[in-house]
Amino acid sequence: MRTVLKVVDNSGAKKVMCIQALKGKKGARLGDTIIASVKEAMPNGKVKKGKVVYGVVVRAAMQRGRCDGSEVRFDDNAVVLVDKQGQPIGTRVFGPVPHELRQKKHVKILTLAEHIA
Amino acid sequence: MWATLRSRYLHLSAKTLPSSSLTNGSWKLGFSGLNQTFSSSTVERRSNELLSLQEVEKVLSDVRADDVAVVPVGNQCDWADFMVIATGRSQWHVKNIAQALIYKVKQKQKGAKRMVLPSVQGQETGKWIVIDSGRVIVHALDEKARAYYNLENLWTAKPAQKEPVEELTKVFVKVRRINNSKKPAQGSD
Repeated sequence: MRTVLKVVDNSGAKKVMCIQALKGKKGARLGDTIIASVKEAMPNGKVKKGKVVYGVVVRAAMQRGRCDGSEVRFDDNAVVLVDKQGQPIGTRVFGPVPHELRQKKHVKILTLAEHIA
Repeated sequence: MWATLRSRYLHLSAKTLPSSSLTNGSWKLGFSGLNQTFSSSTVERRSNELLSLQEVEKVLSDVRADDVAVVPVGNQCDWADFMVIATGRSQWHVKNIAQALIYKVKQKQKGAKRMVLPSVQGQETGKWIVIDSGRVIVHALDEKARAYYNLENLWTAKPAQKEPVEELTKVFVKVRRINNSKKPAQGSD
């Protein structure tokens, strides 16, 4: 709640603030879906400021354990905007994205991504 | 719906794939090698877990999917070997393509104790369905979604657009804040 995340796709938004984590009592982690409100947007984009959107967390400053015992941690919190059915709103995803998205059934974001950590 | 699918399989004679359906030039390059060395190459062995490329091709031609493009991405990304992109004429057609592929996997694994099904994403809407079967990933889109996302452009032009590795390493480095105040930075003496 109230975490400001960076948007790393070309949907038009720049920063969103999380208003609800869809799963998990303690908050959303890497690979989870959140509901967010757009706080800052590009002037001509697909989403406008103030819109309530769904997003998938693709980079998190909190480390997430992998099954081989290693942990992955990024330096910023980033999100990719999706619609309610899970389709990405933008067409390209910038920056690295982790492998965890494949397990979480977000292969679409993986195919749009340019680098996979 | 399964009855119609089954009847379609019964009526079809063995068809060779018309080469006019190939749109991607790089696909021809890869596949001509595949035909001769299919049994001995190790890369294609791995994709025989759930669905192999040839089976995917056959199913897509049976379902009459438009504009099938196969992109070999093995050299660009390590989590998949082939990406197959197919277009459906309507949302129902796109869902049908996905169902046909799952049916093929079920047929392949008939009689096994436990069936491993490929993961399907986007099944409720017929706009973009991804079927993840190990090394081969099948994307079924409708025409509007295909033009919107432009996946071939992304994956065939990928090596040229790759970001230099030096910029990427800078992303993970923590930058120290500039100290503009009169007080010295904490911890420095």
